[in-house]
Amino acid sequence: MGDASRFERFMERLHRGEKIEATDWMPDEYRQLLLKLIHMHAVSEIMGALPEKEWVPKAPTLKRKLAIMAKVQDEMGHGQLLLRVAEDLAAPLGKTREDLVTDVITGRVKFHNVFHMEAPTWADAGVIGWLVDGAAIINQAALLDTSYGPYARVLKRICAEESFHMQHGENIILALARGTEEQRAMLQDAVNRWWESLLFFFGPVEVTDAARRMIEYKIRTKTNEELRQQFFNKYVPRIRSLGLTIPDPELRYDEQEKRWIYTQPDWKKFGEIVRENKGPKSRERIALRRFAHMDQRWVRAALARYSEPEFVG
Amino acid sequence: MEQSEPRIDYGIYEVFVQKSHGDFHIHVGSVAAPSPDLALQTARENFLRRDRAVNLWIVPRKHVYATPYDDPDFFARETDRKYREVGGYTENGRLWRMFKEKALHLEDIVRSLRDLEGNQKPTE
Repeated sequence: MGDASRFERFMERLHRGEKIEATDWMPDEYRQLLLKLIHMHAVSEIMGALPEKEWVPKAPTLKRKLAIMAKVQDEMGHGQLLLRVAEDLAAPLGKTREDLVTDVITGRVKFHNVFHMEAPTWADAGVIGWLVDGAAIINQAALLDTSYGPYARVLKRICAEESFHMQHGENIILALARGTEEQRAMLQDAVNRWWESLLFFFGPVEVTDAARRMIEYKIRTKTNEELRQQFFNKYVPRIRSLGLTIPDPELRYDEQEKRWIYTQPDWKKFGEIVRENKGPKSRERIALRRFAHMDQRWVRAALARYSEPEFVG
Repeated sequence: MEQSEPRIDYGIYEVFVQKSHGDFHIHVGSVAAPSPDLALQTARENFLRRDRAVNLWIVPRKHVYATPYDDPDFFARETDRKYREVGGYTENGRLWRMFKEKALHLEDIVRSLRDLEGNQKPTE
């Protein structure tokens, strides 16, 4: 079968709503777009555990410590599930799991802007759990209908665990919101610190060529702006209900246009942070990842000497 | 039965059914078969006479490496894991009411996103 007719049949499958499996033929472009998306997703889960991990030893109570540790475990677990999906996509391109893991250390794969930022107070840990996770959940829930079967299945599992993350984040900020003046001020500061990063997180307003291709391939079904608007819908009323202010005087819902009007984040600044790893915590966290991966290499090597057992039927 | 007939040994294969592309393969039982190909066919006949599926796996039983049932410690957990479950945070609903708001659940987000379908076409 010629490539042209194979491509046509592939697109027909997508239009019928069929899922594509790892062993199916797929256009190279589809594989590349998926791999780029899932690779970044996987690496961002792992890098995303680091800002919260900083709060494990400093959590205010034992219950909070256990809960935030559970979240860090979940994020690392999600990274592992996603790496397996990425690994199968990368194999025909001659890329290995080791490549996918080291790419973040060598700067060949980017991770989300929010994980380059500082989390200086316990309220930051709360806002990460509430709003950063909230934004990430909107992104991931929107991908549940993706055309790639292995990604869809893993996302279902990830989203089930994210339900706990949502309640966990809300619980921390609800405690602070009902706390002392000092705690409320700390919460307000954290919201101020994260707001712009959160808007950037959803990506540019314009539909880039890659995003348009992903929508045509049904890898994703929503635009960045649709998802950002969902975030406003869900979170602006809740942030305000707590008596907190959102650091954007332009922010309002336009009844006629049926959408939120807002001040654009500094696209250039955050773009550089992600592309060049120039955020306040980028270098430190990559160094930690390098340490975890490179300096522990001998452990993986030692474990790999294990030989297969004799299976008994 | 003739004493001289050689014994015929079929292999045991464990069977995993994937009901839809959205599901993982789930173990449903096992079959005895002379080859992997026939194990797939036997599995289809034994387990899919009514249920629909999109994929079947059969795995030689001898390749399954399992935990022993007599080692409950393997699955031991501390007494309470509520802190890592949605159910550990039921007070959120009450706390949000103090601020005249509702707790947000994953299902709310999935529903709103699916409601978008068709209403808003992506801008090209």
